[in-house]
Amino acid sequence: MAGRRASESARARDRGGRLRRGGRGLRRFARQNPLAVVGGLILLSAVLACALAPVLTPSDPIKTGFSGRLRPPVGVGGTWAHLMGTDNLGRDIWARVLYGGRVSLALATGAVLLAAGAGVALGLLSGYTGGRADDLVMRLADIQLAFPVIMLAIAIIAVVGTSELAIIGVLALSGWVLYARTVRANLLSIRSLEYVEAARALGAGGLRIIVRHILPNTTAPILVIGSAQFATMVLLETGLSFLGLGIQAPRPSWGNMMAEGRDYLSNAWWLATIPGAAISLVVLGANLFGDGLRDLLDPRLRHR
Amino acid sequence: MSRYAARRLWHAALTLFGVSILVFVVLRVMPGDPAKMLLPEGAPQSAVVELDRRLGLHRPLGEQYLIFLHSVFRGDFGQSFQYRAPAARVVLDRVPATIDLTIAAMLLITGVGVPIGLVAAVRRRTPYDYAGMVFAVLGQSLPNFWLGIMLILLFGVTLRWLPTSGFEGWRYLVLPSLTLAAYPTAFIARLTRSGMLEVLDQDFIRTARSKGLPATTTILRHALKNAIIPVLTVIGLQIGTLLSGAVITESVFAWPGIGKLIVDAIFSRDFPVVQTVLILSAATFVLVNLLVDLLYTLVDPRIRYG
Amino acid sequence: MNKRKRARRVSRRQFLAAGGGLLGTALSLPSLAAVAGGAASRSGRIVAAVSERALTLDPADHYSISTTSMLRHIFDPLIDVTNDSRFVPALAEAWEAENDTTWRFTLRKGVTFHDGSPFNADSVVYTLRRVRDDSRLIKSFVYQDLDAIEPDGEHAVTVTSKRPFGSLPSHLTMLGILPAGAAGKEEGFFQKPIGTGPFRLAGWTRGEKADLTANPEYWKPGVPKVEKVTFRFVPEISTRAAGLRAGEFHVIDRVPPDMVQTLRATPGVRVMSVLGLEVQQWLFQLARDPDKNLRLRQAISLGIDRDAIIKDLLLGLARPAVCPIPPGLIGHTDLGVKPHDPDRAKALLKDAGYRGEPLDFVLMKDLYPKQLEVAQAVQAMLGEIGVVINLKNMEIATAREMRSAGKYDMFYSGWAHLPHDPDWYFGQWFTKSGAARLSRYDNPTVERLIREARVPDPKVRQQKYEDLQRILWNAEEPTIWPYYTVAVYGVRSNIRNYQARSDYYVLLSDASIG
Repeated sequence: MAGRRASESARARDRGGRLRRGGRGLRRFARQNPLAVVGGLILLSAVLACALAPVLTPSDPIKTGFSGRLRPPVGVGGTWAHLMGTDNLGRDIWARVLYGGRVSLALATGAVLLAAGAGVALGLLSGYTGGRADDLVMRLADIQLAFPVIMLAIAIIAVVGTSELAIIGVLALSGWVLYARTVRANLLSIRSLEYVEAARALGAGGLRIIVRHILPNTTAPILVIGSAQFATMVLLETGLSFLGLGIQAPRPSWGNMMAEGRDYLSNAWWLATIPGAAISLVVLGANLFGDGLRDLLDPRLRHR
Repeated sequence: MSRYAARRLWHAALTLFGVSILVFVVLRVMPGDPAKMLLPEGAPQSAVVELDRRLGLHRPLGEQYLIFLHSVFRGDFGQSFQYRAPAARVVLDRVPATIDLTIAAMLLITGVGVPIGLVAAVRRRTPYDYAGMVFAVLGQSLPNFWLGIMLILLFGVTLRWLPTSGFEGWRYLVLPSLTLAAYPTAFIARLTRSGMLEVLDQDFIRTARSKGLPATTTILRHALKNAIIPVLTVIGLQIGTLLSGAVITESVFAWPGIGKLIVDAIFSRDFPVVQTVLILSAATFVLVNLLVDLLYTLVDPRIRYG
Repeated sequence: MNKRKRARRVSRRQFLAAGGGLLGTALSLPSLAAVAGGAASRSGRIVAAVSERALTLDPADHYSISTTSMLRHIFDPLIDVTNDSRFVPALAEAWEAENDTTWRFTLRKGVTFHDGSPFNADSVVYTLRRVRDDSRLIKSFVYQDLDAIEPDGEHAVTVTSKRPFGSLPSHLTMLGILPAGAAGKEEGFFQKPIGTGPFRLAGWTRGEKADLTANPEYWKPGVPKVEKVTFRFVPEISTRAAGLRAGEFHVIDRVPPDMVQTLRATPGVRVMSVLGLEVQQWLFQLARDPDKNLRLRQAISLGIDRDAIIKDLLLGLARPAVCPIPPGLIGHTDLGVKPHDPDRAKALLKDAGYRGEPLDFVLMKDLYPKQLEVAQAVQAMLGEIGVVINLKNMEIATAREMRSAGKYDMFYSGWAHLPHDPDWYFGQWFTKSGAARLSRYDNPTVERLIREARVPDPKVRQQKYEDLQRILWNAEEPTIWPYYTVAVYGVRSNIRNYQARSDYYVLLSDASIG
């Protein structure tokens, strides 16, 4: 029993250092994990493309053109003037994908950051303080999980309106629990470790212990959860738009493009399928990258 | 064990109580008047006020909550505003369809997701692994209403192999359960794979293999038992999601389940139905997770609750 | 879990067996009828998928078009309405206004309810008194003006009202007559209701499906022509269309313009359309900036190119409006199509001192197909004359609250003219009390004309409605009425004698399948 605890604490101490040594391991990691690199490149290209939207397309994503509605993309009967065709109001789809990507990616990123931030904070509070605070946070988490996201979304947006902030808030609300539980579990297992007790005995304050010893150990799982959740958030935004609760027309987002295009799937499939392909691409990238990140940061898997 | 069980039950009761209060308050704080939703647009204000009074919405909040609690113990959960029938009846009528869909989806998730993850882990870095992971990513990245409509167009309209909507026999289950299960199946496949990978590399597995135990026995007996734990956790969480959130799938397939019921009820401000569904699904969620935790003890004897 | 599943399967089999038994009995009836009266043989089953969910089987407790369609097959009203908005006898053979506040209905003889009990004055008296007195019923507020409802022998009823009620016959077309025997037992009655209609209720899944079988003793000869009818309630249009194309549905309603081509291209499917009784109305919030308001409204009206919307977005499936009331209804008159004149619009804007403040255009989510597209088109058009529009597509409940509170500049709404009479529409939207929580309209002259139009005399009513519409259409323009929509239905080619109705009802008693 004692031996096990010792090796655990040794590994725990090691994790902080491992991250620092990680830079050198990155090149080796890249060679061993080509898929993760691909994932990262996909994400990077998506972000860059959306950021450089004005450069990549001359069209205005909001400008309507009633005479040129429902034009197919190039290759299935369309012209180069509209690379990916036009939608039900004659707007250029390529432009809407790029500008809409800005919105969807920003929303997903914001949501993940907010969820992680709030979740980690609550998990730390819960795990470190224990007692009443712990019970409260865990019950809140249970109540939250038992509550369908849909209802929360409708309620919040009915009161606050469909602003980006409200959507980020709703998305984050659906995701904070995972971080909180992970951090708390990690914290509980580390709290009793000898070196932490030693640090406390030496007079180190709570905050110092958290930052120096506990946070580095929780960073890895948080990063992994975050990259997986990024994909979930993008899809949740789509679901919200399906119910009419997402970004409002005429501003494009991948979610509302798919929602508006779903009635045209039988006669103009490109309206919903092209943003769907964009979503799939980004999710693919996030998942590959997240998997690779986990492989990199999980010490047990390194010995291969 | 019984102290643990008692503690868990107390937590469950607290959670349900919390959910009921939260639902109750949120519904009444949200903008939107149930009477206005029931009456046509051209109804005079006097009719709206009168109907609100008949629905009991003029009473103070605390009194309304007590009346609601009374209706819970009576078993009818109040009278649905839209349907003029006991809310419990309205919800229970639609539970079988949702349960059937959930079971079908769970069968797919465990019957397809877990094996794919297993094969991918055991045959790491082979075409099996890559194929499995491509499938997993696709399943996790296609919005379900797109998938649902495409399946309807392909199998329902073009090929005419399967019906396009409704629930009148087992054939009607195929497309909706495929649509509903796509995301969780992919997720479970990846989870199983990574769980298996972690276990397969552990020292004791290597020891067992070096001792000459055949590969399959080793895998099935030791690895699976350990890998199953995170999978069980997620399955427990997923059931809650599946049960109360198959909203989009049910809309697309006109499936007579409670996912669509609750969204319609929220939009129509049918308070009793919303309250009933949320409390029942919260209870189910809590119960399922309790069962999952108990299953842990069977799978891994190291886990004991004191 | 296994046991539960098996138990359920058995019970479903039992249900199907019971249903089969019912079907068997029902199927044997036509042959009896054929032997008895030489009636035309009835066969087949028509499945109609309609766009709203039916929540109730009580004709007095809803205002949904889809529910009215379905219930019309089980219950008969006193008066029916044809596709060109004429009132014809149903359970009432004749009706007349004895004076401004009294109507007398002569009832049809020899009609029975599905359980064999006779239809007579008691049924009518019960039905009307119930809807007037039970304030929980959704249609109750319409009948509050009814004073005395008295039988006049067994086959006539006299109804007096507190004030003139010229539109009573039109309201009665939507009220199915119930048997007097249901009095006091309504809750049980509506589990399995009976009426005098061409079909009986065989099965009902709340909000999803209604199964009807033919009533061989129906009072109209040769009707119905099919043995069974099923109504499915499917709000999602792509699902309705897919079902039609796959042959699972025979009739669907509310086909949006973009789907017409796909349906026409599907073998075995045809598209039927007719000018509808639904008018879109874009309200202005009249209490905002009252000084600027009139010129701003006129400018906005001039800035909207209605023809472009109809041609490009609605693909020709609408007609520019010439007055607030659609053709066919009493009160319709031609006051001229509103022009599209951006230059004059810009001048008016300058005159009004409009400096680019954003105006909120509120929509109720998913209420009308293509409403979001039309609103975006309007936003773009108004943008070209310098008016900034913010679209707010909100869920219905929240949108209505905002409207009551006056928190909007323009509000996307519409009105399906059911019952087929403009009195309710004007009474609600253009009287001071009615509009208080809507557009805040207030014009005593118009209000007086609305009141005077309530008398039963059709000539007087037509004149009053023309006068008040002139004020609304020409002088004030408190609302934009852009176009009358066209009702589009998708119908399988093997359905015969189906009539595409302008009131969006789906009625199948005369249709046959072959």
